[in-house]
Amino acid sequence: MEFKLADQATVLDGELIRTVGRESILIKINGKEHNVRLLKSGTQELEFILDNSFHHAKILNWSSSEIKTLIDGQVLTIKKHSRLTDVLEKSLSLTSFGKGENNLTSQIPGRVVSILPKVGSSIKKGDAIVILESMKMQVAVKAHKDGHIKEIRAKEGSTVARYDVVAVIE
Amino acid sequence: MTKNNKISSILIANRGEIALRVIRACKELGIKSISVYSDEDTRSVHVKRSDEAYYIGKAPALESYLNMSKIIEVANTVGVDAIHPGYGFLSENEGFAEMCERNGIIFIGPTSEAMEITGDKMKCKAIMKKARVPTVPGSDGVIDNVEKAADIAHNAGYPVLLKSAFGGGGRGIRFANDEKQLKQEFEMASAESKAAFGKAALFVEKYLQRIRHIEFQLIRDAYKNSRHLFERECSVQRRHQKLIEMSPSPVMDQKTREKVGEIAVRAAAAVDYLNAGTAEFLRDQEGNFYFIEINSRLQVEHPVTELVTGGIDLVKLQISIARGEEISFSQQDLKMHGCAIECRINAEDPFYDFTPSVGPVPNCNIPYGPGIRVDTYLYPSCTVSAYYDSLVAKLIAWGRDFEEARIRVRNALDEFTIEGINTTIPLHKTIMDEQNFISGDLSTDYLERFNIIDKMRENAKEESQRVSSAAIAAILLQSEFVKKGMSGSSMTSKAQLQKSKWKRIGREFNGI
Repeated sequence: MEFKLADQATVLDGELIRTVGRESILIKINGKEHNVRLLKSGTQELEFILDNSFHHAKILNWSSSEIKTLIDGQVLTIKKHSRLTDVLEKSLSLTSFGKGENNLTSQIPGRVVSILPKVGSSIKKGDAIVILESMKMQVAVKAHKDGHIKEIRAKEGSTVARYDVVAVIE
Repeated sequence: MTKNNKISSILIANRGEIALRVIRACKELGIKSISVYSDEDTRSVHVKRSDEAYYIGKAPALESYLNMSKIIEVANTVGVDAIHPGYGFLSENEGFAEMCERNGIIFIGPTSEAMEITGDKMKCKAIMKKARVPTVPGSDGVIDNVEKAADIAHNAGYPVLLKSAFGGGGRGIRFANDEKQLKQEFEMASAESKAAFGKAALFVEKYLQRIRHIEFQLIRDAYKNSRHLFERECSVQRRHQKLIEMSPSPVMDQKTREKVGEIAVRAAAAVDYLNAGTAEFLRDQEGNFYFIEINSRLQVEHPVTELVTGGIDLVKLQISIARGEEISFSQQDLKMHGCAIECRINAEDPFYDFTPSVGPVPNCNIPYGPGIRVDTYLYPSCTVSAYYDSLVAKLIAWGRDFEEARIRVRNALDEFTIEGINTTIPLHKTIMDEQNFISGDLSTDYLERFNIIDKMRENAKEESQRVSSAAIAAILLQSEFVKKGMSGSSMTSKAQLQKSKWKRIGREFNGI
């Protein structure tokens, strides 16, 4: 299988070759063979020795196009390579995916200090839409794309939770 | 101030790591610790560690940790002898100190009179000038009109800063390069100050370029004995707020230390200061020191001083002075011992303009080992709240010299993992490896001057590549082994479906 690191050009090819004994596995990454010893496995959590180094991994999110992992405390998003993604999307007929992309969500909880554009106004990606106060700081929720403000769901003075929709952009 | 005060119980009017720090000092001294908490903090560590904990209100600070009458009410009901305010919240509120005094509760900090002066930057500056403490060139008092501001700016020389007399922590500061900009900013700053504080109290100050922020730890008892506990260099900042503090400063020699330390002691005497405080100075490129203010509280970065003074416990010292005891050591007794560096670990995303990052922390690994101290409220399965300050941990390392301390901090940062939230850890890693930091070329614009954020992004990419093989291995293991025994697991059926399809297709794709 081919993988790609998010935001990077590097493509990594990884495959499982065979198991050697009960918990020892031979894998190949970019043409190079590695020995893996699985020490512990839960549904989302793994501990293993890759060659001679210990690693701890958590699978944070596993979607059809990418896998978000926590590897040795560091978040790393691995995209499945595009050729594969093509095949996948065809098979799953994921044409309806991406429905929610008009919704602008807040990545942080906070109190709504002000709302900048009015309904109907046109905005550009990166424009500040709503100003939140969180952790004593003022933080802007910025538009994720160009478009028009169809609806504003946030209210001044009220609080929003993480992932709440603050506005709808079309 | 009454002397020989009995203190057998202390209410800690704070939360987070500093509340825990005070609780530990209380335990060492056999003092009963009383904590207070909001709705947001029912599971917080200060509630768990204190002898008793009392609920004081809803999550917003105004309804809990800033609710003076509620806190005094708890203090009176429980019958505590003293209140420790920590830092932030009510720590520099002279009204609260006065309320404690009126209720016969010892406020562990300065008197309300001293705080009233240190809290008013203009009043404080005027007193310092009288005491021959050097201050930054600029206006002598609050300026009420824009023409006068332009005059003063012209005399001090552009660029200048416009500051609100009530601002703090970097807020309420505006920059002007020329007269036109000054006039614009003056109008906006007046409006802002009126909205926030009910009055426009602005003053003009010369903007000093490439400055260092160097401060002196002070302690003063009720018998007018003052000591300084050396300097802390706090030049590495973001948005005018400190990120890294260390002692000694790379630019401080013993002669300068004694000279500026003596000025700091004089500043404390000028306002009849009591207990622990910090005199903050700016140092320009020519080596001139300018006093800016006295922070009338225990500072976030106090552990740096504790480590280089051979272990003077500043919180225990505060309690001893509040009890009316005399400082037990002379200035000559104090010796600078090694080097200490502190990294502030904030729940902020340094890759995304320091946006707050909050929520559950399913797991964390707190570093330890020789020379390492971590003051934190984190524990596995805790939650970082959006209602309060973003500081979640302070990582402090001591070494015999700068290099030993730096390497210890750097290695500890590798051990420090906090799951679930973004933190400033990647930024600290980059700084600790950065050549200009290592050579001591610091200034308050250090991050911008050396493009540290860009360097951090580069380092993060390298780091991802370094662990990428392990990540691929984990994915292969997960899809091949773990999933096999996973039917009937807690995964949603949709995710399960997607996963099995992904696996099937993966197999088809690979011709398995």
